Amino acid sequence: MTESWVDVLRPQAADLALVTAFIALTLVGFFRKSVRLKYATLAIAVGYLGFYKSSLISVSDIFRLTDLSLPPLKYSLAWYLFAGFVVVSTVLWGRLYCGRVCAFGALTQIMDAVLPKQLRIEPPPALERRAGLIKYGLLVAVVGYYVATKDLARPVQYAEPFWMFTLFGTTPMWIGLGLLLTATVFVRNLYCRFLCPVGAGLGVLSQVTTVFSIKRWKECDTCKICEKTCEWGAIQGPLIVKRECVRCDDCERLYLDQKKCPHWIILLKPVKSPRGRPSATPAAPAAPSSAG
Amino acid sequence: MKRSLVVLALGARILTNPNPAAELKQLFPQAAAFSPLAGDPLHFTAYGVDPKSNPAAPPIGYAFWTTDMVPEEHGYHGPIHILVGLDLKGTITGAIVDYHSEPYGYFSVEPPRFGAQFKGKTVKDPFIVGRDVDAVSRASISINSATRAIRDGSRTMAAKLIPEALK
Repeated sequence: MTESWVDVLRPQAADLALVTAFIALTLVGFFRKSVRLKYATLAIAVGYLGFYKSSLISVSDIFRLTDLSLPPLKYSLAWYLFAGFVVVSTVLWGRLYCGRVCAFGALTQIMDAVLPKQLRIEPPPALERRAGLIKYGLLVAVVGYYVATKDLARPVQYAEPFWMFTLFGTTPMWIGLGLLLTATVFVRNLYCRFLCPVGAGLGVLSQVTTVFSIKRWKECDTCKICEKTCEWGAIQGPLIVKRECVRCDDCERLYLDQKKCPHWIILLKPVKSPRGRPSATPAAPAAPSSAG
Repeated sequence: MKRSLVVLALGARILTNPNPAAELKQLFPQAAAFSPLAGDPLHFTAYGVDPKSNPAAPPIGYAFWTTDMVPEEHGYHGPIHILVGLDLKGTITGAIVDYHSEPYGYFSVEPPRFGAQFKGKTVKDPFIVGRDVDAVSRASISINSATRAIRDGSRTMAAKLIPEALK
C-alpha cells in the first residue's frame, strides 16, 4: 500500500509539463521583445494560471518567509517550479512576473489594451510616484498583521484580488473586487502600480538584485521618449527605477527602433543643418562621417 | 531509533484544540464516554458504557489528530488539523477539519462536506483524489494534503491498535 514514485509523479505530470511550456513561452516572448507573444502569454496567464489553476504568488507566499512553512516538495513539484521561476526571474531580470505572468496583472493589461483610450486618467508623475509607495506600506501592514495574528485568511481575501480566479468569494469580497476593476477602467493597472503587496515584495527583491538590468544609451540622459512611453512610471530621467519596472519591453523596443530612438538617429544619419537655421551650414562639412 | 523519533515528536507536538468534546461526540454519537488524549500513538478512546460505572467496558472506537500521526504532512501552509474517528474494524466514522491555515481552505478543506465524504471508508481504501475522494480544482495542494493526512493517519493508528483491520 506504499506509494511508488509513479504514484507520486503521475498526477503531477500534466501540470509540470504545462508550467514548463508556459515558462518557455514567457521567456521566448521576453527575449524576442515580441508584442504578439507577450499578449499570448497574458491571455494564457489569465486562462491557465488564473481561472484553471488559480496558482498565483500571493501575500500568503510572503508570509511563508516569516514562519518558513512550505508545501511538501514531493507532492507540489509544479508549484516549486513555478515559485522558483518567479524568484529566479526576478533576481535575474526584475519584475517579469508582474509584467506578464500574474493572471490579475495580465487581466488588467488586457483590459487596458481593449478599453477605449479616452476613458484613461493619467495621474501626474509626482502623484504617480507617491501613489506607487502605497504598496510598500501595504506590504509592511499585511506582514505585520500576519505576524501579530497568524491570520492568513483575511489578507488573502481582502488585501489582494487573486482569489477571484477561484470564483469563491463572499458578497463583500465581490463588491470590493467590482470597485477595484471599475477603477482600473480609468486608471490602468491601478492595482499592480499602486496597491499590490506581492509586487512590492518582488520590487524590493528586484531593486537589490536584477542581474541583467535594462541597458541605456548615453542619449537617454536627456531624451524623454521612453520616460513618456513607460506605462509603469519606472523611468525617471536617465534612471530606470528597478523596483517599479515590470520588464514590459516598451522602452527596449524603442531603443531598437532606428527610426524613433535618438541614439540611432544621431549615430546613423549624417549631420545636417537644423531646419530654419541656414547660418549653421558651415558645421555640416566639419561633422565626422558616421555613415556605414 | 523509532522510539526516539516518537519522543521527539511528542516533545514538539503540534498543538491542537485541547478539548474537542463536541467533535468527538459527532464522530461517535453512541459513545457514553471518552478517555483523555493518551497512549502511543496519542488517541482518544470511545466507550459505549462509561468506564466509571463499568471498568471493564470495552472500547467502541478510537479518535486521533492527524497532526499526531503524521506531523510532517503539510498542506500549502502548514499542517491541517483533522480529528478522525476509527471503529474497531478500521472503518472511518468521520473526519473533522478543526484548524487550517490554507489560503484557499475556505472553499476546499473547511466546508464540512470535505470531511464528511471520508465517513464509511476503510483504512484499506485507495484515498485517491479525483477517484474515491472529490477533487476541488484550484485547491489541489490543500485537498491532497488533507486526504493523505487522513489516509496515512488512519493507517498508522490502525497498525498500532487494530492491526487486523489492515490485513
